[in-house]
Amino acid sequence: MKLYSENEIVDAVVIGTGAGGAPLLSRLAKAGLKVVALEAGEHWEPSKDFATDEVSQAKLFWTDERLSAGEDPLHFGNNNSGIGVGGSTLHYTAYVPRPQPDDFHLYSDFGVGVNWPIGYNDLEKYFDEIEQFLGVSGPADYLWGAKHKSSYPLPPLPLNGAAQLMKRGCDKLNIKTSPAANAALSAPYFQKDIGWRAACTNRGFCQAGCTIGAKANMDVTYIPLAVYHGSEVRSKSFVTEFELNNSDNISAVVYSFNGKMQRQKCKNVFLCAGAIETPRLLLINNIANSSGEVGKNFMAHTGMQVWGQFEEDIRPYKGIPGGLISEDTHRPKDADFAGGYLLQSIGVMPVTYASQVARARGLWGEALLQCMRGYNHTAGINILGDCLPYPNNYLELSDEMDSRGLPKPRIYFSIEENERRLNIHAEKILREIWSAAGADDIWSYNRNAHTIGTCRMGNDQQKAVVNSEGKSFDIPNLFIADNSVFPSALSANPALTIMALSLRIADCFLDKMKHR
Amino acid sequence: MRNDFYPPGSVRALLNTDSVTPQTRDILNGRLQKKEIINPCFFNKEMFVTLRHICERLIPQPNRLHKVDLPGFLDEMLFKGEGNGWRYNQMPPDNEAFIKGMQGIEETSKLMFDAPFILLDITNQDKVLHSIQKDLAPGKTWQTIPSNLFFEELLAQLVEIYYSHPQAKEEIGEVAMADANGWQKIGLNELEPREPKALNK
Ligand SMILES: Cc1cc2nc3c(=O)[nH]c(=O)nc-3n(C[C@H](O)[C@H](O)[C@H](O)COP(=O)(O)OP(=O)(O)OC[C@H]3O[C@@H](n4cnc5c(N)ncnc54)[C@H](O)[C@@H]3O)c2cc1C
Ligand code: SF4
Repeated sequence: MKLYSENEIVDAVVIGTGAGGAPLLSRLAKAGLKVVALEAGEHWEPSKDFATDEVSQAKLFWTDERLSAGEDPLHFGNNNSGIGVGGSTLHYTAYVPRPQPDDFHLYSDFGVGVNWPIGYNDLEKYFDEIEQFLGVSGPADYLWGAKHKSSYPLPPLPLNGAAQLMKRGCDKLNIKTSPAANAALSAPYFQKDIGWRAACTNRGFCQAGCTIGAKANMDVTYIPLAVYHGSEVRSKSFVTEFELNNSDNISAVVYSFNGKMQRQKCKNVFLCAGAIETPRLLLINNIANSSGEVGKNFMAHTGMQVWGQFEEDIRPYKGIPGGLISEDTHRPKDADFAGGYLLQSIGVMPVTYASQVARARGLWGEALLQCMRGYNHTAGINILGDCLPYPNNYLELSDEMDSRGLPKPRIYFSIEENERRLNIHAEKILREIWSAAGADDIWSYNRNAHTIGTCRMGNDQQKAVVNSEGKSFDIPNLFIADNSVFPSALSANPALTIMALSLRIADCFLDKMKHR
Repeated sequence: MRNDFYPPGSVRALLNTDSVTPQTRDILNGRLQKKEIINPCFFNKEMFVTLRHICERLIPQPNRLHKVDLPGFLDEMLFKGEGNGWRYNQMPPDNEAFIKGMQGIEETSKLMFDAPFILLDITNQDKVLHSIQKDLAPGKTWQTIPSNLFFEELLAQLVEIYYSHPQAKEEIGEVAMADANGWQKIGLNELEPREPKALNK
């Protein structure tokens, strides 16, 4: 790996190496720029460092404490945020459906939420590019949304028990299903400048990290590409401060490495620390917030899960957890709410499941043990749906300090009428599917997932933090590219769109540079 | 609801085979071989005894020669202060919450039955725990920390400790750890030879 000196004024510092940071890192490096990524977490070697064990793999989660407030306080940690080179993609399930074109203009269609300043067409070529690069496995013809210009490079992954049951239930109810697009390899895959990656071995522990590099986390895809093109990736480097020069540009980024404060001089900064840490850093430094919108418009996908037990042996620890999808509920005809949702089957790891049984069902004693003795017969489906931005849902700095002496963030989250109606609609369908598939002991877990919003992109600098190219309205050399810039939640899993935005933001930047 | 029983020893038998990676083996063996903690580091002795009784109610392990040392694991975890990335805004930090929570349980127990928790019969112990879980427990402590949230936190921590232990995995027939060579049979009712079968089938 190429190394840069801290005194060298590099072209760009990229903060965070998840779905937002890694793709643009590779793009800028490929264009010949001198780029350094600063990542708070470790650079793991999965084949040596990872075990098939949920508790020890908790090292992949962001564990600095967040205070969870509001009527529907969110569970962070393993439900939401990762740390390490690769960010949250280290433990994502790798469902990568594309958003649909109408996801980008909820306001025009329903009069609520907001429109994006860009649309599906602006991102389409990036979806194509990323799917080919990651080696997405998926059906030859996808049933919903805009027709793809190129089909998925690999055939779908095999369906596990939960996916087969969801198909059985949906078939009976005439709900169309399809094997999902999943960024894990159904066959070995070769990438120029990276080499071969192995096919998925059906371990079912994607959320505890992939030991063989089959799942397209950033650490086995865009990060090696970036390093190949000459980028430096500095792990264990926790950014705390920005130094500004007279013309209100950032001139250096300050970070702690092994307890020592260091600073990297730079011409540009790409902030990609995720939808909690990005606004937190800006608020701590009190920058880029003339709109007052930093930390506002926090969203989390509606993510209701419905669980059931079946006569069949399922063994939920086997097979890629993200197997089957339906988008028939994208804009349901009988909906009394704005937006919509999709349906996905879920495999589940035992400790994660047990913890949910404890928190959501409150079972203990013999009732808990008995429920868990049915683990091998358990399968789940979940939705992933819209969540509108509300003034009451936001992030602020609390006055409680963490071990680094930085204020802990407090996040307010409450769902409102639109989400409640969507959940009622979804729960009914999910329960029907599970009944039709033959489940008993059906129960629902009403949860929200993913951290979205807080540094909205938009055309109006009074109402947005960055423009449609990810550039700060206040600080000319600051760009934001991660889940925080989403103006609305989109009824699709976020990672693919974050990566597409990341590449687009890099391309817009490079284009402007050329014309300067 | 299913109520399957699996043969004991299934995970332990697999641990020393090449179906388990060395990293995974080390971690699970570490848990199996961990000595029971007699002298707590986080809780005081009295609380620790009470905690043991609470664990017996929340996750009973009556017929086991070697019980999973739930109080010991929890004590160690809290002593190390490893957080999980978030807490409810209404709750104090973990270390404070667990001390207060344990005091609260004693307080409720005395208010409801005029005796410390460990001297109650199991029916009354369960009544105390239920009242705490439902946020109906008497006691001043619960004005400073919501009893239902404390209960949720305590239960979730214990459950995570328990089901990460090989003995608990054997109880539910879960052998996710035996994946060094991946899985080929993943569909409904498809088992590989190394997966344990339920005894009552
Ligand atoms: C269990 C789970 C399953 C998921 N499944 C899916 C799925 O199937 N499909 C999907 O699309 N999405 C999924 N997601 C969500 C997806 O992983 C995230 O939306 C996505 O990775 C977010 O990208 P990001 O770049 O915004 O942030 P992240 O990927 O979280 O990256 C942020 C990075 O910034 C680093 N960082 C933060 N602060 C600092 C600092 N001060 N200094 C230096 N570095 C810092 C962090 O360590 C981290 O590496 C899942 C998430 C979880 C938790
Ligand atoms: S299921 Fe496949 S992609 Fe997921 S962790 Fe296992 S091998 Fe990796």
